[in-house]
Amino acid sequence: MNDFAIEASEIRKGFDGVVVLDGVDFSVKQGEVHGLVGANGAGKSTLMKILNGLYQMDSGTMKVFGIQKHFNTPDQARENGIAMVYQDLSLVGTLSVTENIFLARNPYRKGLLIDDGKARQKAKSLLEMIGVDDTIHLDAKVSDISVGQQQLVEIAKALASDPKILILDEPTASLSGTEIDILFSVIRKLRDRGISIIYITHYLRDIFKICDSVTVLRDGKTVLKEKAGNTSLGDLISAMMGETSSGVSTWDRKARVESENALLVVEGLTTDAVHDASLCVYPGEIVGIAGLLGSGRTELLKALFGCDRIRAGRIEVEGKKVFIRSPSDAQDAGIALAPEDRRRQGLILDFSIEQNIVLPALKRISRGLLLDEGKSGKMADSMIAHLGVKAKNRQQTVRYLSGGNQQKVVVAKCLSSDAKILLLDDPTFGVDLHSKHEIMKIVKEFAGRGGGVVFVSSEFNEISSFCDVVYVMKKGRITGVVKEFMSEERLMQMVQ
Amino acid sequence: MKITGFGPKKLKDSVVYIVFIGIFLLFSVILFDRGFLTSGNLLNIARQSAMIAIMSVGMTFVLCTAEIDLSFGAVVALSAITSALAMRATGSILLSVLAGLASGLLVGAINGIFVAWVGIPSFLVTLGTTGIVSGVARWVSRLQSIPIDNDLYIFLFGSGDIGPIPILFFWTIFIAIVGSVVLKKTAFGRKVLATGGNKISALYSGIKTDRIKFSVMVINSLLAALAGILYTGRLHGARYTLGENEVMVVIAAVIIGGTSMFGGRGSVIGSVIGALIMGILNNGLILMGLSVDQQLIFRGIIIIAAVSLTMREKKGK
Repeated sequence: MNDFAIEASEIRKGFDGVVVLDGVDFSVKQGEVHGLVGANGAGKSTLMKILNGLYQMDSGTMKVFGIQKHFNTPDQARENGIAMVYQDLSLVGTLSVTENIFLARNPYRKGLLIDDGKARQKAKSLLEMIGVDDTIHLDAKVSDISVGQQQLVEIAKALASDPKILILDEPTASLSGTEIDILFSVIRKLRDRGISIIYITHYLRDIFKICDSVTVLRDGKTVLKEKAGNTSLGDLISAMMGETSSGVSTWDRKARVESENALLVVEGLTTDAVHDASLCVYPGEIVGIAGLLGSGRTELLKALFGCDRIRAGRIEVEGKKVFIRSPSDAQDAGIALAPEDRRRQGLILDFSIEQNIVLPALKRISRGLLLDEGKSGKMADSMIAHLGVKAKNRQQTVRYLSGGNQQKVVVAKCLSSDAKILLLDDPTFGVDLHSKHEIMKIVKEFAGRGGGVVFVSSEFNEISSFCDVVYVMKKGRITGVVKEFMSEERLMQMVQ
Repeated sequence: MKITGFGPKKLKDSVVYIVFIGIFLLFSVILFDRGFLTSGNLLNIARQSAMIAIMSVGMTFVLCTAEIDLSFGAVVALSAITSALAMRATGSILLSVLAGLASGLLVGAINGIFVAWVGIPSFLVTLGTTGIVSGVARWVSRLQSIPIDNDLYIFLFGSGDIGPIPILFFWTIFIAIVGSVVLKKTAFGRKVLATGGNKISALYSGIKTDRIKFSVMVINSLLAALAGILYTGRLHGARYTLGENEVMVVIAAVIIGGTSMFGGRGSVIGSVIGALIMGILNNGLILMGLSVDQQLIFRGIIIIAAVSLTMREKKGK
């Protein structure tokens, strides 16, 4: 009998010629909690999707409980005892806890009808198994229970297929401290029942709290495989980062000139997700916000742009107090946002490049009542040339542009709104290296002309090498300000 | 990965013209000896299609924002009755027309407030106002027809001809051109399409999407009110049944015309051609000698067929 739940070796996978997994070795012992960490793009999610049958590997071998397997569909993975809890929960808010647990496959029937009694019994035993049957009511609507409880219901749902291996993807991102403690005790219970758990996270400290061993991926390769007790936070971070801080050109950092003429002053900003945040942006400055997923970094930008309701605090732009209740207020105050999700929030996919670029500037390209096609075309063409958007012409529909080019259009939109302050939410996420450089170059130029930039990135090397000042965020609060150069390793430690 | 969407898009946009020409040719052949191609009949089609066309212009704006309005049929009746009653009471054409339009404005504003600011789906809001408005129309008219005998009113709003051309034709052209320019060439039109294309992106671009939604509900109601006034002039009186059967016809005309039910894409000219298709269909089925029930059945079949042709796009994306 083999004591490994999963043994994967030399796994390779590429998409359109881009190598994502380059000979990964990954093994999980039976009955252990195994941490999987790596920077964005290191290949974690691709590897998990191969385990889970969503993707097929190009080459390599995978053994599950000692037997060589190859999954073509998630169903096959499930039949072999593998279940996955995804990062964004997949529960239906209007249905009850029981109904959600058996959403996909309800095995309990009375003839054609669902046997509610049996389903409830089984749901109850699943909740008992993870020890939360007294806090989560079976008939409660999922939308009425807390996010932490939803996470547990999601786990119960995964357990319904009686898996031997459970994959958890960033399960703590939206949980509070006590909810995390409960989650950890649930994970330990499952481990004690012999279930092997793969635990993916950006919160490296959690690895030492909950994991027995850990694997670090970098650029599609396994760079560290160790018992958690034999390694340290520093080891993990340097393994994740490697020697090369790949990619972004560094930028001549200036000493901060704290003149009285700040471009943007935020004091005590509070929303549902951000608490008492204060920050300051001076002309010509790029201010970084370093924080993990769920730290409130996105919510801070959304609050400044009028997307989330501001409960308290004051915002000043160029010394004048402004009230921002909607994105259009923010735009009037000279603020532009390149949102996190370019396809859902940044672009109108069926509009042309030109129509997207000029959208925030319709007033300026109108002559009388009518839009001035000439002005519109000129503005679009100059932005396309300026940002190096690769397209046949300005009439091309943005839906069919590459991610990098779509992101350039989003940035072009921000610039066309004539803003003085640019809020960038992870603008290089999922963007190729070349486009990354071009976007950063434009952002630098914007700051060089006296604009102010607030820059959120999940790539800490970008923040480290690119920003003049860095604010550190954790759990909705700003917990530190860094005014001197700081390596990405240090930043990585600060946000933990 | 697909690089461009030009080919299929162009084809999609031209479906309405192909359908139009196809049906026209078909009827020209099979109904030739029943007088389909006579100038009298063609002008008749222009008259019959006019109100559908005008309402379809408003509906184009509504669908472009990914909303819908079911209440405009009832607005036609309310506006017609209000206008006719005001005419009887004051004898002033101006006041009569303003009264009719005001009734449309009011209904549109109520729809708009609930859709844009209360946040109720437009389908439900306008289903509700349909009941209220047609109830009011029956109540104030006491289920009676209200005749109009002012010659100028009748001439201007529906029955007049300038030379051989019916005045309704000019109304249609005027509204179609204004609507098309507003949708294609103004900031407002661009915002309408952006709101329907992706509401969140539009909002994040600084567009006040709630105001846009409010505006299109008002525009649609106002154009329905105008259609009500034109019906009154054409029929020399108002009745609570006006507009009752036009709701589905107008929505079908707009969709056949290439406007997406899911918002973000639309063509006013396409809608007007769509309305002409509906007019020709109506006329042709009558010339064929079909009974009213048979006409209903045939029209339903042809609408589903034409709409399926234009809506295939959404699949496979």
